[in-house]
Amino acid sequence: MPETNTIIGETILIRGNLQGDEDLTVRGRVEGTINLKRTLIIEQSGVVKAEVSVNNAVISGVVVGNVTASDSVEITQSGRMVGDIHAPRVIIVEGAKFKGRVDMGELPQSRAVETPAARKVFAPVKSAPQPVRPQAAPTRAAPPPPASKAALKEEDETKIVPARKKIVVKKR
Amino acid sequence: MANVIGSTIIIEGEISGDEDLIIQGTVKGKIALKESLIVERSGVVEADIDTRNVEISGQVTGNIHSSERVEIKSEGRMTGDIKAPRILIADGAKFKGNVDME
Repeated sequence: MPETNTIIGETILIRGNLQGDEDLTVRGRVEGTINLKRTLIIEQSGVVKAEVSVNNAVISGVVVGNVTASDSVEITQSGRMVGDIHAPRVIIVEGAKFKGRVDMGELPQSRAVETPAARKVFAPVKSAPQPVRPQAAPTRAAPPPPASKAALKEEDETKIVPARKKIVVKKR
Repeated sequence: MANVIGSTIIIEGEISGDEDLIIQGTVKGKIALKESLIVERSGVVEADIDTRNVEISGQVTGNIHSSERVEIKSEGRMTGDIKAPRILIADGAKFKGNVDME
């Protein structure tokens, strides 16, 4: 018996959890979670508001929710998606609408040197000398010296008087 | 073109709609359709069902409310109450529950 594709028709609404081991075509509406070991196809009329975990996803309809794919996620020209994508291959074609984050996982070694993550390694070296706090920095966290004058005007004097008499005097 | 819930699919929750639905997989929860529900041999339904027609060749546990017809075919097994104007139980079918043809 040939394996049938599961089709969720245009007028069908499913609320809850859906899981399976075959391709699923959504022309209607699914709300909840989808867990598939195969391909999820959301056709133009399809609306999915769900946490989706599949092998492949092809989005021509609307998806609201996060999609995790072990292989690929494709948003076609008519596809619209809001949510995060987590997949090694992500294809977004012209005309597609997408809002969210994309995480393709570990980038290949050859390019890793240029990634922001690699730059971060050097960043602390450049700015290594941490600004040493002025001596009179007791447990009470005082505002940094350059900003203190401006801050003083707005702050309640009584609070500051005991800690920074000097500045208070200047102000008057 | 029919709606088919394939044999490896498991749905926990509610299904509603106004077209025919063929179930080869598993559905737990609630099914409300304006048309026919067909539970095929491999289908397992643990749900309250509210449709126009129901045709059972698989296994159904739950109550059925049908506005037209419920048919339990010879391979069908059903546990639960049926409320429908026309009810057919074929030779070989297994059924346990109340029938209300009102």
